[in-house]
Amino acid sequence: MNARLLLKYWRTILVVAEMTIRQQLMDGFIIFTVLFQPIIIALLALWMLKGKGPEYAIFVVVGSGLTGLWSSLLFISGNSINAERWSGTLESLVALPTPFEVIVFGKNLANVIQSLSSMVLGYFVAAFLFGYDLTISQPLYFALSIFISIFAFISFGLIIAPVFVMNPGVRHWQNAMEFPVYLLCGFLFPIALLPGWTTPISYLLPPYWAAVALHGTTTPGTPPNEIFFAWGMMFVFSVIDLLIASRLFKLMLYKARADATLGME
Amino acid sequence: MNAIEIKQLQRIFKTHTGVIKRTAREVRAVEDVSLEIQEGELFGLLGPNGAGKTTTVKMLATLLIPSAGSASVKGFDVVKQADEVRRRIGFIFGGERGLYWRLTGIDNLRYFASLYGIDPDVSKKRIPYLLEMVGLKGRGDEFVGGYSRGMKQRLHVARTLLHDPDVLFLDEPTIGLDPVGARDFRQVILDLQSEKKSILLTTHYMFEADALCDRIAVIDHGRIIALDTPGGLKQHVADLSVVEVETFGASEAIIGGLRALPFVDALSVEETEKHQLLLVQTKRGAEAVPDILAALDGQRLGRVIVREPTLEDAYIRLVGGAV
Repeated sequence: MNARLLLKYWRTILVVAEMTIRQQLMDGFIIFTVLFQPIIIALLALWMLKGKGPEYAIFVVVGSGLTGLWSSLLFISGNSINAERWSGTLESLVALPTPFEVIVFGKNLANVIQSLSSMVLGYFVAAFLFGYDLTISQPLYFALSIFISIFAFISFGLIIAPVFVMNPGVRHWQNAMEFPVYLLCGFLFPIALLPGWTTPISYLLPPYWAAVALHGTTTPGTPPNEIFFAWGMMFVFSVIDLLIASRLFKLMLYKARADATLGME
Repeated sequence: MNAIEIKQLQRIFKTHTGVIKRTAREVRAVEDVSLEIQEGELFGLLGPNGAGKTTTVKMLATLLIPSAGSASVKGFDVVKQADEVRRRIGFIFGGERGLYWRLTGIDNLRYFASLYGIDPDVSKKRIPYLLEMVGLKGRGDEFVGGYSRGMKQRLHVARTLLHDPDVLFLDEPTIGLDPVGARDFRQVILDLQSEKKSILLTTHYMFEADALCDRIAVIDHGRIIALDTPGGLKQHVADLSVVEVETFGASEAIIGGLRALPFVDALSVEETEKHQLLLVQTKRGAEAVPDILAALDGQRLGRVIVREPTLEDAYIRLVGGAV
């Protein structure tokens, strides 16, 4: 793939993300999922941990933002292809020269960006409503962690969407998949509090490594090696996810064209 | 080179019936279709519901994989070279869906222009041009959800022309449009033809096909049963006249009895809320009227006229009056 094509795809991704955000700003379910639900979680957690100190507060702010990221990935990115089918636009998108995974990448980028805004809102809630003096101990590493986490979440979302399309039964488990990941990935409290047998499951989930990196960079005294390792794991998972997604998209589109499931007749 | 070449195309759908004991069933939507469409030709594909029109178009538009046979668009195979085909085609399926209702008309076009890989500087000029061409100048900033059906259909045309495709597939594009909207839309189709686009049009409206198409194929049960110019197709019924009889509440048995008369070549019924219009094709012309009226004895009748056959009558004869 040459640089010119990459630039073209990047431009397309940005337009897809912009149009996705414009549409989602008019959708109450999405506003609730990516903005209000994380804020509610942040408020409850901050209330429960009241008096525990600002290091807990920043943990909650970052953690509630991660819950928004996972929920948007699971519900909005996961359903993004089906949503196109329901609105009758899937056929138009498939019959385009742009690879379909590039379009879904742009949609996932929009979802992730919106979800991050809930982290910013959580920060203001903790700072102004609860009066915490919040500091990020390693701001540069935090910014890099955000960037790498976005990429990891988007890549993971690229697997979820075609899986949901090819196996409609899996979608019935969507609700059941939301909270366990909050817990297993240590979004709101460390996984050390969970039974030991769950730890290997956490290690296999890319959002866990995003939580390690983001919590690590906001917690004073976290050794840089721990953060670098989490970055490395996110990178490895992203590459694996992208390779799997590339195969899944080809398979999904071929199957949809063979089984006549692109439209909604 | 032909714009479109189809050889022995076939498409079988596999469905299942039953809940506890599931039984697999095959539906042969397209049985055996072969045809060629020339560059710059406006080609019509006519047929009753379920005849295989839309399935054929979807295979050509790379949205369905054929079960057998082959098809190419501008020399590119629709299965093996789908990406090359997609760069050269545009398609419209009738109806309001397929657009983003929560975006404005301009944003819809900007979105699709980006997906077609059109340079932003080019699309900035092309989008206003297309909006003007389809009669949506000044309405591009409105949300598509507020558009009328006709406006949505026009926006579909603008979307489909963004990348200036050589070949267009228009699948029942005027369905559901009001008469003025449909007339304006037909003018858009003629304008596209004057730009030397190759167009495959499917429609249920015979007068539309008659007025627009260079050649027409009639498809029934997945097979081409006739292929000719509109004038050539009308020759199929040149020896016939059509007796139109308006009836009010004629039963199936009465109509069946009329259809069975030896001088009736074909009979179709157009139902409205208030009345039925029986279209009787016969070689006997006006002489058949007394016998037809005798067969309808006791029925409440309206006007009775005898006229020359149209393309619709040729179509009815070809598909056996099954409309």
